[in-house]
Parts: sequence; structure tokens; C-alpha cells
Amino acid sequence: MSRALDGLVVLDLTRQFCSSLSAAFLGDFGARVIRLEGLPVAAKTANGQWNHEADLIHRNKESLAVDLHVERGRQLLHELVARADAIVTDMTRDELAAIGIDFAAASKLRPDIVFGRLSGFGPLGPDSELPAIDELAAARTGMMPILPQPGQPPVYTGAGAMHASVMLAFGVVMALFHRLGSGEGQEVDVSLFGANMYGAALDLQAFLAIGKGDRLLNPISRLDVSNPMSGSLYPSADGRWVTLTMPDTDRWWPVFSKMVGIATDDPRFDSHDKRTEVNRLALIQELEQAFQKQPGAHWRKEFMEKQMSADIIEQFDYPATDPQVSANRYIIELDHPSFGKLKSLGFPIFMSDSMARLDRLAPCTGQHTGQVLHELLDYPVEAIQQLTAAGVVA
Amino acid sequence: MGKALEGIRVVDLTVWFQGPVAAQYLADFGADVVKVERPQGGDQGRGVRSIKSLEVGDWNQYFMVINRNKKSMAIDLKKPEGQEILHRLIEKSDVFLSNLAPEMLAGWNLSYEKLVAINPRLVYATNTGYGRFGGVSKPSFDMTVQALTGAMARLGEPGQPPIYMGMGSGDAFGGIMSALGIMLALYQRRRTGKGQYLDASLYGAQLYLAAPYLQSYLAGHQGSALQHSRKQAANPLWNLYPTQGKWVYLCEQNADGRFAALCRALAADALGNDPRFADAAGRTTHNAALIAAIEALTLQRGHAELMAAFKAAGLVASPVNNLADVIKDEQAWQNGYFLKAYSEEVNREVEVRGMPVTLSRTPGELRCLGPELGQDTEVLMMELLGYEWEAIEELKAKGAIP
Repeated sequence: MSRALDGLVVLDLTRQFCSSLSAAFLGDFGARVIRLEGLPVAAKTANGQWNHEADLIHRNKESLAVDLHVERGRQLLHELVARADAIVTDMTRDELAAIGIDFAAASKLRPDIVFGRLSGFGPLGPDSELPAIDELAAARTGMMPILPQPGQPPVYTGAGAMHASVMLAFGVVMALFHRLGSGEGQEVDVSLFGANMYGAALDLQAFLAIGKGDRLLNPISRLDVSNPMSGSLYPSADGRWVTLTMPDTDRWWPVFSKMVGIATDDPRFDSHDKRTEVNRLALIQELEQAFQKQPGAHWRKEFMEKQMSADIIEQFDYPATDPQVSANRYIIELDHPSFGKLKSLGFPIFMSDSMARLDRLAPCTGQHTGQVLHELLDYPVEAIQQLTAAGVVA
Repeated sequence: MGKALEGIRVVDLTVWFQGPVAAQYLADFGADVVKVERPQGGDQGRGVRSIKSLEVGDWNQYFMVINRNKKSMAIDLKKPEGQEILHRLIEKSDVFLSNLAPEMLAGWNLSYEKLVAINPRLVYATNTGYGRFGGVSKPSFDMTVQALTGAMARLGEPGQPPIYMGMGSGDAFGGIMSALGIMLALYQRRRTGKGQYLDASLYGAQLYLAAPYLQSYLAGHQGSALQHSRKQAANPLWNLYPTQGKWVYLCEQNADGRFAALCRALAADALGNDPRFADAAGRTTHNAALIAAIEALTLQRGHAELMAAFKAAGLVASPVNNLADVIKDEQAWQNGYFLKAYSEEVNREVEVRGMPVTLSRTPGELRCLGPELGQDTEVLMMELLGYEWEAIEELKAKGAIP
């Protein structure tokens, strides 16, 4: 079966989880992703454990080990750039200039190159050279103080980096699409800062529009949520957490009230206004009591039967064994040569005619050096041996 | 400047947040996005009037920003005549996107099979809640899906309730994932001439949102699923510290030189000379004691003063800002992460979330905020779909369009 990005050559010059994952994503959907690594210094101590991170963020890639500190190594890189369709990198602009492939230089080597870069804070502005560290970007974005319960420390979620990962892949594929129609390459920048801001979509936009509001600047207690039936958290009898998202309370109240044992015509709660404004806190207290009368499993069954948008909060063991997850290949089973059958994160997008697939696990450093030099740059075997002997590649 | 998605028409049959955001990305980069809504009230997202018990503002920012750069047609898809209009629109389109339930779409004659028969090159995209396979099809909202992924349960201090990553956080991520899927399919189609169907579910996207931690759990690291206290961070130099004002996030490696710089910044000779903290291993072993000691010092200062000291010592750190800070952040404005747009609702310029994906040659652009319900129905029917006015009158009489 063909895949969406068949035939494309992508150079991967990344060091971070999220940007490496962007490149792997392109590989999952068919691109030939060549990861450039430095020469191996010593045999890595794998301490006998599965390198689960590498087998996610470097899957479906080839590895070429080349010493970019020497002129001949950089020359090889330039030859590769001339043959590549896209570059994905998280290097700083200084680092890129030092190896001669910032966007301007790369465009000279390959005029229609798509140059995708993860930055910390965007290509412009006073902080454009700050390091690409997700925690720094998240701290700037304004959400961390309001995620926890009142009085608790700010919360770092890590979601911004993952957002950046998908945004970068989106930008690169869109630029490749444009190139297919126009022959034009371009530079794509996605920053951790911008990505974190988009993760904070609703609160941030609300504050932009309203310009004030303590409830957007300070944490809101779970016993003070705006809608007792939406965005709320209640403990069950066995200490599981119940969460509800039923913003349209009119629609759900008849069946919901019956389920939690409140009279449907209780005059305190017989309209949306009363439930979410006039008697909001009273309803929260009622629900706080009601949900503690039954264990989590009971509530899940009720929610499922009544097709309610409500659920029990789970830990990772749930998706790890959820048949719905494996049916959709969100988590896949792989057969590892050293560790046997393992579960690993799969593919979040289903495509009917071009399914993502796992062709190979993370390569060893330099595993494909000879192959890439031969296939892409037409180096004969002897020339590759000479480069290896000279310590330029490994 | 050119537009990356020039000439691509998208039929956007989505409601609330995730689907509209996906189509917004395509519209920002030049696709002609036609939002199709029910005549009575339109997208439910139009009805959001309050966020966190605050009025949304004097303009409908919840709806207007994620539906910007789009047109709107109001069509009653429960009626065969309405379905016929949509089928004619599909003939002229490249992408169909919906986050309505697949059963509902099938009931309205809008299944993949039906639409691909009309337009064999169509890219048909859905945002299901829990994926196309496996049988679960109950209604899904951001937080109820986030609840299942395990991502909420690992956040916060031990013993605290789980933490939701912010209103719309998972929907926003599902939106960009869906936009990426559509781009993959469009790329392939431009190369091969063939369309296909794809699904980016809220569940699948949100599992990916937890990737580093979930993958670690799958490899047997049970602790990845659990809450961890900042008081016991393995590397005390990469941690949150309170001050008299804002918290500060210090992001440094656990290396002797960095620790020495921290001690200088805090004027803490005693800490620097404490044998427990003399090397990286010691700082990890005695992490709780070191964190408490650093915290005692940071609490004596304001965040600006602490940041100045950190900066002087060359330490990487940031104050933990709030939303009032970020909307004034020069860095965000200079990069177009925020933009100004004219709102016809209130006849003034308003501030909106901008373009988080920067393309140098074909940048995204903000042409207009979201459409009025059905504002383009008639003009699109006449100019794009070739309906005569009499036919439109008849369809109005039948209630297929308002």
C-alpha cells in the first residue's frame, strides 16, 4: 500500500523529543527520514532496558553518522541537502550557520527545500534566540498558575511540546504541498511558545477579549466551577474521580437528576440558570455527596448506558489495555528483536488508503551510512570505505 | 503573497471546537472553507455566552476566532432537498470535514461511500470521539476523553485531584492533528490524483498528547502514571520555586558549574559548601533537602529581583506568568501569535489568537472573523452551484434553506 509521503527525503537534524517525533511522524506516513548523528563515541550503555523513547521518536528512520566538525563531513551534509526535500531541525540559528545550512545556505544547495525548524520563541522578536525548552515557554504562556486547585504550585503539563510536534509536521507537509504545485520551497517555524499558547486556546482568547477577570487569572476550586455539570470533578465512593461535560444542562437534567437521586422538579434546580448561577454552589454540594454514594464502576456503567458525556478519570493502565485503543492502533504491539513483544505508542491518524506503519525500530548510530551515501549520493563502496577510514563517517 | 492552500475548497460540517479549529488552520492558509450549519441556531458553538462564569465579552469570541476566514451556508441536512444542495457542493470541493457522529452523517446521506460516488477525488475527514473501530460511539468532549487517557491523573501534587490541561486543550490538539491528516491526504492526492477517508479522533490525539509519559509507562515505568511532588524533583535545578511574587521556573542541568552559579545567584555560600550537595549524585540523593533549602532562599525575594540575579549568573529561568502578562508579551505580538482583527459585531478592532505556524513564503493570514449564520448561502448556491433564483425560492419554501 502506498503512503502519503512516499518518495520524499527528509533530513532529521533534531535532538529534542518533540522535534524528533515530528520527523518520525513524516516517516510513519512514508517519507524516507535520514537522521544525521555525530560519530558514536563509545558503545552506549543500554543497561539492559528497552530504549522505549528511541523506538518511538526515531522509528522509521535511517541513521547516518557523520562528523560535522570536519570540512569533508560538512561537505557530505551539503551534498545530502542538495538531494533532500525537507529538513527538520531544532538547532539554533548559530549552530545551523556553523555547519553551513541555515535556511539561506540550504536554499542555495537546494532551491526548493522545505526547511522546518522548532524554535523556543519564534523567528522574530527580542527572545528569538532563547533556548527551545518547553518549560520556559510554558511558564511564559500564562496557564500554569491556573491549572491546579487554589493554593497549589503551578502545573507544567508537557502538552505544549507535543502540540509543537504536530504543528511542525503540519507546517512542513503544507509547505511540501505548496511546493508540489509551485516548485517553491520555504522556511517553516513553529515555536514552543506559540504551541503552548494554542494549547491554552480558550482561556487565552477569553482573556484577550475580556481583558480582565479573576477567574481567568487564579485557580478555580473544583467546588466552585461555573457549571456543576461541566468541567467538574467529584470523588466516588471508592476514591475514583468522576468528571462531567454536559454544558447543555437542560438537555441532560431529567435523566441526570434521576441518576444521582435528585428530584427532577427540585425547585432549586429546575432551570439552567438556577443550576449554573442562582443555586450553582448548592448543586455542586449535592453532587459532591451524591457521587460518593457509589463506586466509580457504577458511575461509568450509568454514563455508558445513558450515553452521557461523563467518565471516570483513569491512569495509563487504562489505555494500555483498552480494546478501543488497540482496535484503532493508537497503541500497537511490536516484536522487538531483543525484548520480544512490547506495547508502544502507535498512530493517531487513520488513513484508508495510506495507513501509517512501523517499518523499522530506531536505527543504531550509523546503521545506514553506507546505504544512504550509495543510494542518494552515488558513492561507490571504495569511496565510502575511505571516508570511514578517514573518520569522516561511521 | 501566495497562499499555500490556494484553490482548495473545504466543506466544514463541524461544531463546537475541535473540528472548527482543524478547518481554521486550513482557512488561515488560504483554503476556501465553507462552513455548513443547521438553520436553527447553527453551530452550537455560536451559543457559548460565558466562560468560567464570565461573560465571553461583548463579541462572540468563542465562535468568531475558530471560524475566522470561513463562509457560512445554512442548510437543513435532515431534508433530502438539503442533502441535495450539499451533494452539489461536494462536487465542487476537495475536502469534507465533520466531527458529527458517523451514524448521523450516514443518516443524512453523507457517508464516505455516498460522497465519494459524487466526487471520487474527495478527501473525507472525520473527527470521531474514540476512533472508527472498536464500537465505542458515545458523545465525546475534551475533558471526558482527557480523563481516559491517563494524562490528567499524573498531574498535580500527590493527593490532589487530577488536573485538566485547560479549557479546549485537548480539542485544540485534536484540531491540529486533524489538519495534519488532511494535509497528508491532500499531498498524496496532488501527487496521485486519489482521495481517501481519514479519521483523527479526540482519543487518539490525546493519547499522543501524553506521548513521553505514556510511552514510558508502556515500557514498564509505573511511576510515569503517577503524580510527583515538586518537592522531590530528581533534579532540584530543574524545578519550580516560589518567590514573594510569581513562581519562577528554573531550567538547568544538574551539573557542578550550574549549581555553583545558582549558589552565587542566591548568595548562598553555605549551600555551595554543603558536602551533601557537592556533586550531581549528592544533589539527587538529597533532593528534598536541597529543594527546601533553595526554596527558603527564593521565598525571601520578589520574582523580578530573583530573575535579575539568575540572569546575572547566566541561569536559564522564567517567571511563571499569568494570562494578563502573556497578552502584553512583545514576543507573542512580534511573531504574529496574536493579531488584531476588525469585529463587525462591535465595530472596532479586537485582539485574537494569531498564527502559531509560520511559513515564510505563504504565511497564514487573517482576512475576516467568523461568518454570520448562513450569510453566504444564496450567493454560493447561485455562483458556485449554479442554482437559479426560482430553485432557491422553492428550496426556501420547502425549508431546506432559511
